[in-house]
Amino acid sequence: MISIARLFGKSPFAPLQTHMKKVTLCIEKLTSIIDVLPKMDMEKVEKLSKELSELEHEADITKNDIRNHLPKSIFLPIDRSHFLEILSVQDSIADKAEEIGILLSMRPLEMLPEFKNDFELLYRKNAEVFWSAKKIIEEIDELLESSFGGIEAEKVKDMVEQTAFKEHEAVQIHHKLKKELFSKGNDLPSPAFYLWLSLIEQIGMLSMLSEKLANRIRMVLELK
Amino acid sequence: MEVESILKILVLVIGFYMSWNIGANDVSNAMGTSVGSGALTLRRAVILAAILEFSGAFFVGSNVSETMQRGLIDTDMFLTEPMILILGMSGALMGTSLWLQIASYCGWPVSTTHAIVGAIIGFGLTIGGVEAIQWEEVTSILASWVLSPVISAIFSYIIFSVLQKKILYAINPAGAAVKLLPYLSMVVFAVFTLSLIFNGLENVNVALSFPQAVLIAISIGFLAFGATYFLVRKKAKSPLFQTATTHSPQSVVSLDKAIKHLQRVHANTVEGPHEKVSNIINEVKTLSAKLRKETSFSERTSEYKTVENMFVYLQILSACFVAFAHGANDVANAIGPVAAVLDIIKNGAISDVATVPSWLLAFGGLGIVVGLATWGWRVIETIGKKITELTPTRGFCAEFGAATTILLASKCGLPISTTHCLVGAVLGVGLARGIRALNLGMIKDIVLSWIITIPASAIMSILVFYGLKTLFSYMNVL
Repeated sequence: MISIARLFGKSPFAPLQTHMKKVTLCIEKLTSIIDVLPKMDMEKVEKLSKELSELEHEADITKNDIRNHLPKSIFLPIDRSHFLEILSVQDSIADKAEEIGILLSMRPLEMLPEFKNDFELLYRKNAEVFWSAKKIIEEIDELLESSFGGIEAEKVKDMVEQTAFKEHEAVQIHHKLKKELFSKGNDLPSPAFYLWLSLIEQIGMLSMLSEKLANRIRMVLELK
Repeated sequence: MEVESILKILVLVIGFYMSWNIGANDVSNAMGTSVGSGALTLRRAVILAAILEFSGAFFVGSNVSETMQRGLIDTDMFLTEPMILILGMSGALMGTSLWLQIASYCGWPVSTTHAIVGAIIGFGLTIGGVEAIQWEEVTSILASWVLSPVISAIFSYIIFSVLQKKILYAINPAGAAVKLLPYLSMVVFAVFTLSLIFNGLENVNVALSFPQAVLIAISIGFLAFGATYFLVRKKAKSPLFQTATTHSPQSVVSLDKAIKHLQRVHANTVEGPHEKVSNIINEVKTLSAKLRKETSFSERTSEYKTVENMFVYLQILSACFVAFAHGANDVANAIGPVAAVLDIIKNGAISDVATVPSWLLAFGGLGIVVGLATWGWRVIETIGKKITELTPTRGFCAEFGAATTILLASKCGLPISTTHCLVGAVLGVGLARGIRALNLGMIKDIVLSWIITIPASAIMSILVFYGLKTLFSYMNVL
């Protein structure tokens, strides 16, 4: 009777993907901030950064919503703690994006001509790692269908490996840029130097967190 | 004589109401999932369910009915005063229907089986005391209530694990399904046939020995194997299972590029154009999302989709199996007590062996069918909409596990709750990582329904019994 229907709890996987969409909006907003940076239009940057903060807040609300609606009596095909971990790592990406946005709105960024290309490259590469992790989250429906195993799991495993490789590339750019900063940073006033250093560090975190997210999914796969 | 006719009509009416109730509420368990997954239209589901419920009740219903009639209380205690037993059984029937009415009004998940067993035990205890109850039988029934969901869960867990290993975890799931399906349908048909023909055809005067029945079941199984083998091969080649990609992935990529450019425009404009561009972006984004979903869906999951498509047929089969098993087990709830009353009225005394006339089984089956036709189809529709989580592969495993358990219990004459078996079976699939989210709070509800239903319906039946007794002593029958 109705008791059969009540046996099926509300699946948290669709909300997890909704949360990912909100995190994606944050990254997109951050991208538009990075795009307007060369214009040195602080007003614009500040406005976008505020919008980014709002998006991050929305993602937070979704996250808390999922947590609150995951009662102890719900049984999932993956471990509860794994699920919550995936959610938490995913949310930390939005947090990081917000932090970078705020850093950029602190003061106009003195762009040394030597940095310009590498800085953009650094951001693009980090964003790329994120997109690749996002694709994995989009696979969750298929993973559920195949009970986290089989050809679908193999495919996701490949995607995780690709993400890891991209992260590796991102780290190399990160190191290169940092080295340049330390060798040419003499010309920069110390607040600018410190801003640059923090920015490089924080943007690097994006790819690190994205790779971590991919690996968290890797952990729930049923691979032979 | 007149009083007896009144009683006869009364129990028949209540028995019919009970079977109507079963048809109205519980048949949805079997067919809901198939309607939900789109495997069957509502009309077809109702027709199939009607046929199978009826044949289940008619062919295999007698075992459990006999338990209801004589297995629960020691009828020899009432040899000297058969009228008391008549009133008691009528009271149990009426008490149960009252309790079911109250429970369904309040939306409590109760089981008809538990209610009627509780009612019969309740009146037996009050009238005859502790010795009147056949404790051995009652204990095994109580044990079967706990065990049947567990056994269903184990069955469905095993079946789903096999499916996982052989099909879902295979590198080419569709090909693996083509290989495995004939075996599965062989097993389903063999079990189904065996349960039908072994001790099942007494009502049509055909008695087969166990080896004979096994032989026939196995041959039917092989026939099913052959038929499925050819069907599946044909299906696997048919264009239905070849997913066509209507949009090339390239168009999605191009759209994404367009979005990126639009976003650049969006970031560089203000006010009027800004708003307009943001509208366009949203529009393009929805389109791109739609295309992306369609494209990638057919690209990525074509194999699993094919598997699900193939399992649709097996799911229909297992749903029929559940309907049959349900009819076999639950018809007793309605007609077991009726059979007891009619037997005494007919013979004027309590007979030595429990017999259930086949017309009464047909009567019960008819009640179920009428319940299904008048109200049950609505419940099937509602359930179908709610249970979308049970895809054909999952649905098949859960239904097959539950149906096998229910039929086993029916063969042993144990009245069990089909709903609880199905709940157990779904949990079994869930434990094998087959279902997105299960609400384990339901288990608490089920245990609670055991604890509440039994005393509640027992009390109801005792009250009705004393009511009837007073009424009939005024009429100077006692």
